[in-house]
Amino acid sequence: MKTRLSSVLLLLLILGSSLVLRASRYDYKTQDRDAILAPATAQHWTGTDDLGRDRAVRVAAALLIGLTGAGLAAALTTAIAAAFGLLAAFSRPSSGSALMFLSEMFLSLPWFFLLMMVRSQLPLTASPAETAVATFLILAGLGWPACARAIYRGALELRSAEWMIQGRMCGLRTGQLIRRHLLPHLRFLLLPQFLVCMPAFLVAEANLGALGLGVGEPLPSWGSLLLELDNSALLARSGWVYLPIALLVLVLLILESFSAEEHINV
Amino acid sequence: MYKYLRLNLALAGMAAVLASFAEGQSAPRLPGEIAWAIHSDPKTFDPAKVDEQASEMVRYLTGGVLLRINRKTQELEPQLAESYHVSQQGTEIEFRLRSGLRFSDGSALTSGDVAWSLERILAPSTGSVVADEFLLPAQVRVETPDRVSVRIHLSKRVIGVEKIFDQIAIEPANRPSEGRVTSGPFTVTDYKRGQYLRMSRNAYYWQRDSAGRQLPYASGIRLDVQNNREQEISLFEHGQYDLIDGLPADFFSLLERRSPESVHDLGASLNTEQLWFNQSLAAPLPEYERAWFRNRSFRVAVSEAIHRADLVRIAYDGHATPAYSFISPANRLWYNTRLIVTRESSTDADRLLSESGFHRSGNQLFDFAGHAVKFSIVTNAGNPARQRMAALIQQDLGALGMQVMIVALDFPALIERLMHKQDYEACLLGLSDTEPDPSSMMNLWLSSSPNHQWNPSEKTPETDWEAEIDRQMQLQASSASQQARKTSVDRVQQIVADQEPFIYLVYPNVLEAISPRLTGVEPSIMAPALVWNIERIRPGESSGKAEGR
Repeated sequence: MKTRLSSVLLLLLILGSSLVLRASRYDYKTQDRDAILAPATAQHWTGTDDLGRDRAVRVAAALLIGLTGAGLAAALTTAIAAAFGLLAAFSRPSSGSALMFLSEMFLSLPWFFLLMMVRSQLPLTASPAETAVATFLILAGLGWPACARAIYRGALELRSAEWMIQGRMCGLRTGQLIRRHLLPHLRFLLLPQFLVCMPAFLVAEANLGALGLGVGEPLPSWGSLLLELDNSALLARSGWVYLPIALLVLVLLILESFSAEEHINV
Repeated sequence: MYKYLRLNLALAGMAAVLASFAEGQSAPRLPGEIAWAIHSDPKTFDPAKVDEQASEMVRYLTGGVLLRINRKTQELEPQLAESYHVSQQGTEIEFRLRSGLRFSDGSALTSGDVAWSLERILAPSTGSVVADEFLLPAQVRVETPDRVSVRIHLSKRVIGVEKIFDQIAIEPANRPSEGRVTSGPFTVTDYKRGQYLRMSRNAYYWQRDSAGRQLPYASGIRLDVQNNREQEISLFEHGQYDLIDGLPADFFSLLERRSPESVHDLGASLNTEQLWFNQSLAAPLPEYERAWFRNRSFRVAVSEAIHRADLVRIAYDGHATPAYSFISPANRLWYNTRLIVTRESSTDADRLLSESGFHRSGNQLFDFAGHAVKFSIVTNAGNPARQRMAALIQQDLGALGMQVMIVALDFPALIERLMHKQDYEACLLGLSDTEPDPSSMMNLWLSSSPNHQWNPSEKTPETDWEAEIDRQMQLQASSASQQARKTSVDRVQQIVADQEPFIYLVYPNVLEAISPRLTGVEPSIMAPALVWNIERIRPGESSGKAEGR
């Protein structure tokens, strides 16, 4: 019931954002210099920001970019984690332990600072779209170790399951066994990992953006939109400044409810 | 567990952004005390080793000086020195001290203390930045003919040598005390790193008001170390601070609505905000990009396309002045009023670019070899006005077909790129100019200087116009005639306006907030803008909230 409500809400947010982008006469980057911090009007439904850009369009674009980027990054990180976890589980015990030790080492790194370091090494001329892709790729590249550990444990248990032994006796190769039998059984681990990663990546992007290291301007992102909250002079001038944080919290709650529901089901 | 750890870490970062809304706390105010915020801890209390703003403020408040520049009239006034005389050749300066001068511990201040303080500044082991202003500090000799006379011999004329003494605090000979024993209006009494610095009045300070009352009026000063502007403003509104020096434009408008009588826009400051392209041959840039940046027409076209009025109105909420020269109109003595400047016009910019071999294809500009004109502008993170300017310029240049990326870096990373790696294409930054005399800008304009930012440390000037700037700057630095100096500086301003190595954007206005409980504050455009006459500022009764709200 709760999941259904969350799904409907998320779908409404996605549809609403797409509709705003299609219906608005403004794009996310055009500055209307005669309408700086304008209040909500028929032209600008939720007013404009401090550069005269339409806030509704920018928030809608940030929502879609965030969900798409975080979704793809979460899928990628889950895939990397699955590959690493399975490789460790199906290697010789000593190699498996070594691989897991490697992932533990990776996990112990101060990942947020690592993230900032890697992100700051991007070429200065990277376009906003390239910075968006790079940001989410970096998140995917750094987010897999904990997930890999869980998959390794799950795969180790399943490796000695009766149906696996039977599969091996029937002549199935390891690759076939994993693809046909193991992965479907690991779904109960992979899906929660995906659902946990998604909100974490959204928030991580917002943090990077707030530090000026996220998606490049003028492409909107949660990070760049939340930066407005750092200026109390702006807060006093327009209540619509709170719209991005309100929507981000709503999206995070929806995504969290998905992962919580999945945990309960497990 | 992992999920919550990651989310908590991430949310903790977000909380840091939101934390700025929390109301700050400050140390309790003592009776008769004036309080305001400095934005970092002083690096040193030793007045001879000052090289940053917070330490400079402490030196100003505690250090007694021979001569002081009146920040209002911009003229020199005798302080510990009763009188002074500069020889015709400009190589000898003689001071006569006031009689009965004392340090804050009651000991007598004599010419021996002055000589010791000067020699300490000049000694290479001290590492004083002030010493360099004597040009050849090692060859400066100090004599003390008697207890109240000090004679200084220079090996070479130094233009405006008297002004250097505004920065030299006189300390007790052989007893450097880091601000505890001073000849200025206040002495340091308490310092808690990262929290506050407390000073109390010097009971032996030499100055009296016209009624014969000993100055300073205030019993003490508390400087809170506070780098959060929002908290600073909140504490000002709650009457915990008496002053805010250098109010950001956004907050000026906010405070203006709540307490119009406490904010003051003093007009254009001496500071500039500018954009420049990296023209250095040592920069790791493709040759075709360097060729754009070294092309005068390209730079002028960029300048013509930028709508400075929009920068003023949108980025600074109207509290700035469009800029076309490195000298602000606030610097009345040196500003070139007959300067011929770039006319803002996208059409002219388009024409200039096409005459230089650039062409448009759709929305993209290409050079004659077919390279898309695409570059990044680096600036520092955490300066909303500057970031807004960058975004406005991005759109202005987009209208010419230039694809501009904005990159906001933290300050150390930015300085590393600018000064060491020279790994950037264009930069948007500001320069603070505390000294109106153009001699203080030598390190910026001489082509051999490492601070000649568009092309640092040239062995010989790479262009004729840079050679001419070098020549004119040397002329103004060595000429004894004010008229000749002005002519040279006017010429440099015109060359810079023609060549646009720096594309000047705005002069941010001097924005200040002063509590109505203070009397005697005379805001100035020169630092320290609000407290330059600190000894004559009188605190009124303290209250919980800012009066007059």
